[in-house]
Amino acid sequence: MDEKTTEIYKACLKETEIKYGYGDGFFKPRLAGINHLEVGHSKIISNPVTILLEAIFSFYKNLRRRVQKLNALLFPRRHHIYAKVKDSYVTGRLMHLDRAEMNVPIHNAEVELWARTKFTFQWKKLGVTVSDNEGNFEIRYTLREARNFFIRSIQLEIYQPTDVKYNGDRPSTTYRVYHCEKINKSDLIGLGYSVNTIALPLWEYRTDIDLPRAYFPENLRFTPEVYVQGREDALIQQLIPIELTKQKHLFQIKKEPGMLTLEDIQKDYPENLTLAMEKKLPGYTRGDEWFGFRMMNGMNKASFMPDKDKKGIYHVKFFGAGDYEHNNEYAFPDTDIEFEIHKDKTPLPVAITFTGPLNALNKDPFQTRTFTRNDGEDWLAAKRLARVCGAVCAEVDEHYTGTHVNTEQFAIAAFRNFRKNPVTWILFPHLKEVSLINAGADKTIIGGYLPTATALTTKGLVNRCRDILGVHNWKGWQPMEVINETHTYAKAENLFWNLLGDFMDFFFEKYEKDIKTFWNEVYFFSEDLVNHSVPVFLSELHVEKMNASKKERYERLKEYTHFQFGYHPEHSAEIVHGKSVAMSSITKSKTFTRDEDFNNLKDACRYAIMMATFSHTWINEHQYDDLGEILYSCGGLRFGEKESGVIGPESDPHIAPDLTRSTQMLWFTNFLSRTEYGFITRNEENDIHPYFIELLLKHKDEFMELGVDIESIESRTNI
Amino acid sequence: MLWFGAVIDKLVLWWYARLFSFLIAVFLSFPKRQRMSHNNGIGGEGWLKITEEPEFPEHDFFEKGAVFPVRIRHASATFLDDAMNCIRSISIKFAHNRYKSPFDLEMNTGETSLFWSAASFMQFAKKRNEKWGVEYVEYNRHYPEGLEGAKKAVRRHATSFYNLHYYAKTPFLFMGKDKIKRYAKYRIIPLEDVKESGLEYNISDWDMSNQRVLPHEKRGRNFLKYEYEDRIKRHGASYRLQIQVRTASDDEDPEIFNNMVPWNEQIYPWMELATFHIDKVLDWKESTLSVFSLNNMPKSLGVLPAKSIFDYNSLNYMRKHSELARKARILSLKIFGMVPPIPDNDNRNYSEWGA
Repeated sequence: MDEKTTEIYKACLKETEIKYGYGDGFFKPRLAGINHLEVGHSKIISNPVTILLEAIFSFYKNLRRRVQKLNALLFPRRHHIYAKVKDSYVTGRLMHLDRAEMNVPIHNAEVELWARTKFTFQWKKLGVTVSDNEGNFEIRYTLREARNFFIRSIQLEIYQPTDVKYNGDRPSTTYRVYHCEKINKSDLIGLGYSVNTIALPLWEYRTDIDLPRAYFPENLRFTPEVYVQGREDALIQQLIPIELTKQKHLFQIKKEPGMLTLEDIQKDYPENLTLAMEKKLPGYTRGDEWFGFRMMNGMNKASFMPDKDKKGIYHVKFFGAGDYEHNNEYAFPDTDIEFEIHKDKTPLPVAITFTGPLNALNKDPFQTRTFTRNDGEDWLAAKRLARVCGAVCAEVDEHYTGTHVNTEQFAIAAFRNFRKNPVTWILFPHLKEVSLINAGADKTIIGGYLPTATALTTKGLVNRCRDILGVHNWKGWQPMEVINETHTYAKAENLFWNLLGDFMDFFFEKYEKDIKTFWNEVYFFSEDLVNHSVPVFLSELHVEKMNASKKERYERLKEYTHFQFGYHPEHSAEIVHGKSVAMSSITKSKTFTRDEDFNNLKDACRYAIMMATFSHTWINEHQYDDLGEILYSCGGLRFGEKESGVIGPESDPHIAPDLTRSTQMLWFTNFLSRTEYGFITRNEENDIHPYFIELLLKHKDEFMELGVDIESIESRTNI
Repeated sequence: MLWFGAVIDKLVLWWYARLFSFLIAVFLSFPKRQRMSHNNGIGGEGWLKITEEPEFPEHDFFEKGAVFPVRIRHASATFLDDAMNCIRSISIKFAHNRYKSPFDLEMNTGETSLFWSAASFMQFAKKRNEKWGVEYVEYNRHYPEGLEGAKKAVRRHATSFYNLHYYAKTPFLFMGKDKIKRYAKYRIIPLEDVKESGLEYNISDWDMSNQRVLPHEKRGRNFLKYEYEDRIKRHGASYRLQIQVRTASDDEDPEIFNNMVPWNEQIYPWMELATFHIDKVLDWKESTLSVFSLNNMPKSLGVLPAKSIFDYNSLNYMRKHSELARKARILSLKIFGMVPPIPDNDNRNYSEWGA
């Protein structure tokens, strides 16, 4: 890009920049949770009854909050333990509630015995303990304190860490009562009282899907986590206008579809980067330079693989629908874009090769067509199709699988196992809420929008996610290699990775002793990661039985995905149920024995935080830049009925998404890019280590030069 | 205020003991002519001799070489079927009478018990919920010590009442000639060095509540009683009554009274107290009319005082205060006649009379 174009680009970027304010509006209903959003027929603000109900609910929530405050004031929970001689005990065993078997203990869980007085309703703490590696616990207490005439009720409370708070640089863990077991006062008769096995649905893995996903029970009392209030507020504030816009469109489509055009829909949503650029430099966003620039530093942050034979030539590949279950509505061929990259110049596309159907007439999956700069209008159409395929791959492979589901597998393992280990303090703030948002995405995106707006069905999407997760491993992962001066994404990624490494060194050195003391938690964390990891990518396929074309495709696929996701198969050494799995083990010992394991833990934490923060933020916040203009890029181009198929002009509405899909796409990209909450440097929840913030702020200008506003990097994946 | 609390505790204990005794008398002993638990038994008589070389402190009652008439009663609790997984017992009185005696003891198999205080005993009674030979499911689930005690106490495959070890478990007072306050525990074992029969190993928690006869059981409902009757007729049965003694102190741990914690035998060894020989078996009527009571004890060997329902000594306090129930049963037997002997039929797993 020349200087003038760069200036225009920066101006457009600023114009379309997304700001995150936190001011309250006058009319601001709260949601019970964003998981009940629905595509197309949203329950939010669709009629006055809903508005009224939301207002009542809002009033109820406020009242409940005040009552809770008053309750805490009148009936404080003092942590003094009332005990003279601890002559009796309450015992039991905490287990994970597995649908098939009960054999996974909950270790290191804090268990407390509380009593409440008869007339003043004051709380009295009778005893406290933590469960051992087998989940067994024994709380010793004084029988006469429990059987005192003035005691009204007794309960056993099981605590689960949910949050981390920093007071200066001193972290502390916040616990919430996850389960409460009432005990009849008269049942306490001295010596032991067993509550037997308490099986809790605490961060259980889903068993209905071959992915490491968290199970959210229908009974909200046992939900493993909830959004913080600030996150809900930010969501509602940003969502209301775009929700109303979408509702208007859906109403119009239902009543009078002829009165609405794609242009009308586009105009109703906020202007995005490509539209702003087009206003100032007409035609530029459809040009080669912009194409290369966005592929390298846009939402796609594509991986440029050097050509084996030609120097200065690189390939970016997007693998299409292939064998995954798909519909026949949208084109999703394999795409191989050949770029030439000169020293310190933006990549320029030379040729684009598609393998797979490009129209509705010829369904041969191995048909190939190549387009070059000399193909005139077809070249423009080829770039458009390449952008679309790239967008789907970025969303499904990089965004959903690489950051959301990848982070979730760390989140489940961490929340199931870390309670006392200081690692809790660095992992929890970055891993929280990802499982919640993923559960929401299951309904609204994977099971809702994407199967209707792209070539892949829900089953196809899930299977693809499982496959791609098979090239994600913490061991040996490194950020993208910087190709040249214009490769700002890779530079920023490397800078963040290095700073994260500095932070990890600082933290692990400071808390080394306690990390090693509670090493059993690391062991169980590692075991859960490995035992629930997906098989290594393509390891279950019998490639030798395939025909030559398929075999060749899978070889290419394997080679490129390993390169794209920084995956080293030699590190995936674990075998689970006879299958080689992607995740590497961190430790094999319940007690600390090897220095190598300590470094493994550090590397795994660094990787998980990287995925949850920088990697996710990049794609998420660039979605509206690259997917905010319907005709520029979208989830899928329709085959139409012409022989030219998807290689047609933007003016052909039959290959563009239909009206409903268009408004939904803009709704989603706005929703995902604009409703962020929880940033590292803003530290809204006071849960980020101050040294991490300090490190990032120190390099604020350096990041800014690379086009990254450090204030906009999310601390967690929650949208 | 401490004294007030102590008075309340005592009152509650008294109320517990009286109420329990009253309820048993009204709902079980009188209308059904039953003991509280040990209905299935057989009595015998013989003679007891205090050891000539006592190692325990001298005591006015246990004079060396003294000879007493004894009446005993062996029983299986609580089912009317000897082949079930039951606790076995022996009660002994130093007299050839149905009730009156200078010294009575009640013992069960197992070194530890199923309950340890009045409060725990009430819970034990409350949570029985017996049906078809399965009982104490809830109790066993919630009280680990009770469950362990049960595992140690049951003798499913006992071959004879004779070759079992019986323990009194809760300590009693022992005030010897030197007037030093001591505590004593008693046990009865066979005179001959024979292996204890019926011991169960590795019983699962789940199976403990199932006391039913085993599938394809060949032993009859009364096989233990018949065996004992034959044994006595052939050559009688000789036993050893043993004692453990420890000195009281001001700073003693209440746990020494806990019947779930045996005293360390290396420090407090079992000493010979007496031997006795049973040479006569009592018939069903005489066995049924025999009554044993902890009130039948010299003051210097009596029940230790209890302070509350949680006190380990409250268990013996309750036993001592259950006289009403005993009297109600005897009265009922006199009015309504003798309960019939347990028939040799195939109605297994019963605890109720008349089946």
